[in-house]
Amino acid sequence: MDDLHARFLPQFLELARTRVAAALQAAVARDHLAAPTIARNLHTLAGEAGLLGLHDVVPLARDGEQRARALGGSRTEADAEQLVDTLHRLERVIEHIGETYTPK
Amino acid sequence: MAAANSERFIVRAEVRAADETVISYGFDLTASSVFVVTEWHAPIGTPVSVRLSFPRILEPNDVVARVADIRVAGEPGEPGGVRLAFDEADVGARLIAQLERASDPPDPAVDRPYRVLLVDDSWLIRDMFAYGTAKFFDRPGALAIDHAEDAEAAWAKLAKSTYDLVIVDYFLPAEDGASLIARLRGDARLARTPIVAISVGGRDAREATISAGADVFVDKPLVFRDLFNTLRVLAERRERSRHSAERKAILVFDDSPFALALTRAALESAGFTVAIAADLSSFERQRVAFDPDLILVDVQMPEAFGDDVASTLRGWHGVQVPILLMSSLDQGELERRAQRAQASGYICKGAGMSELVRRCRELLEASP
Repeated sequence: MDDLHARFLPQFLELARTRVAAALQAAVARDHLAAPTIARNLHTLAGEAGLLGLHDVVPLARDGEQRARALGGSRTEADAEQLVDTLHRLERVIEHIGETYTPK
Repeated sequence: MAAANSERFIVRAEVRAADETVISYGFDLTASSVFVVTEWHAPIGTPVSVRLSFPRILEPNDVVARVADIRVAGEPGEPGGVRLAFDEADVGARLIAQLERASDPPDPAVDRPYRVLLVDDSWLIRDMFAYGTAKFFDRPGALAIDHAEDAEAAWAKLAKSTYDLVIVDYFLPAEDGASLIARLRGDARLARTPIVAISVGGRDAREATISAGADVFVDKPLVFRDLFNTLRVLAERRERSRHSAERKAILVFDDSPFALALTRAALESAGFTVAIAADLSSFERQRVAFDPDLILVDVQMPEAFGDDVASTLRGWHGVQVPILLMSSLDQGELERRAQRAQASGYICKGAGMSELVRRCRELLEASP
């Protein structure tokens, strides 16, 4: 499975960066209509990270998913801020994984 | 294999007559003759030398023949050409025997169904292949057909997966088929992959795609029977290798292409034969065609919940094989959904690929 991890991690990082960047852009712009899409993308991200065994990513992505769902219902500034905060933390974790990854 | 039905297949035909060589294709190949689609013609009885082949699959066979009939183009599906009668007996049977003996590509390609990528933006053609796969194959799981709507989608799929044959329509949106074929031929990894070009474009499309590197060109409407018989022979050759390995087949349904690619790679490396589906229509096609020993379904997908899919398979279709739900949902919720859907079990994606492979193996070993 180590080979698979090395083979698929670069693709995961690229996808994860794209998804989180798009979610951050929408959340910062307070695009509440994008909340369901953000939730779905973070759910997918959690699943993909889980399959790869990236246990630092999964809870943050799940947390972001829940916060996006909450924002979709409430549309409050507080929920938007919490989502942005979670996404920033997720972004940092993904970048940390990228920095520690050594291509074979 | 039913040899009597095996002779009707598609070949590349290079007719050498007088001072020119015409590259086209032949179908309706029998023991004694073949119909070659071409604008070239000569009086009946004219001797010609014809080379029949399927580059990268079947070595060239040089045979001597005579023009036995001339047909002008008629309705769609009736291309013009000449029927060539072989001087030698049993040419068709010899070709098919040669095709069946031809060595397979090296591992790991033999350990999965024969995989075809169909690049065509027409739903009609795609549905036709799906129908043909289910209808005409004695062992439908021997052939797996994947689709791409345009050149870019095809390129992306070819970068991620290995295909045994690529079928490319000439008229595609944005980038035409000839350009895609030229790109494929320029890629060292794909150099050995046979390419069949298809089109309604007739001679112009044929010359463009053959020049770009296609091995065989076939006019649309396709000579469905012959093309599928060709695929059947190739797929069954592969199927014999697969069955000798006694591999279990797993169908994975997930809307995430990344999760599909990763899961497939992990399961294949563990020795399973794997088919994948990213949407409901593809899942249903693969379920019928692939006849899996185990079905692995994601839960939260845009088109359907995996537990609803499992429930429908059990209740409506009477599917008996193990069904395993997978998700990044909380374990408690996943367990409840699995029980309600009469799934065989569940796996949290967070458990990782090793655990996923272990659970699949466990369920398959317990399955009768």
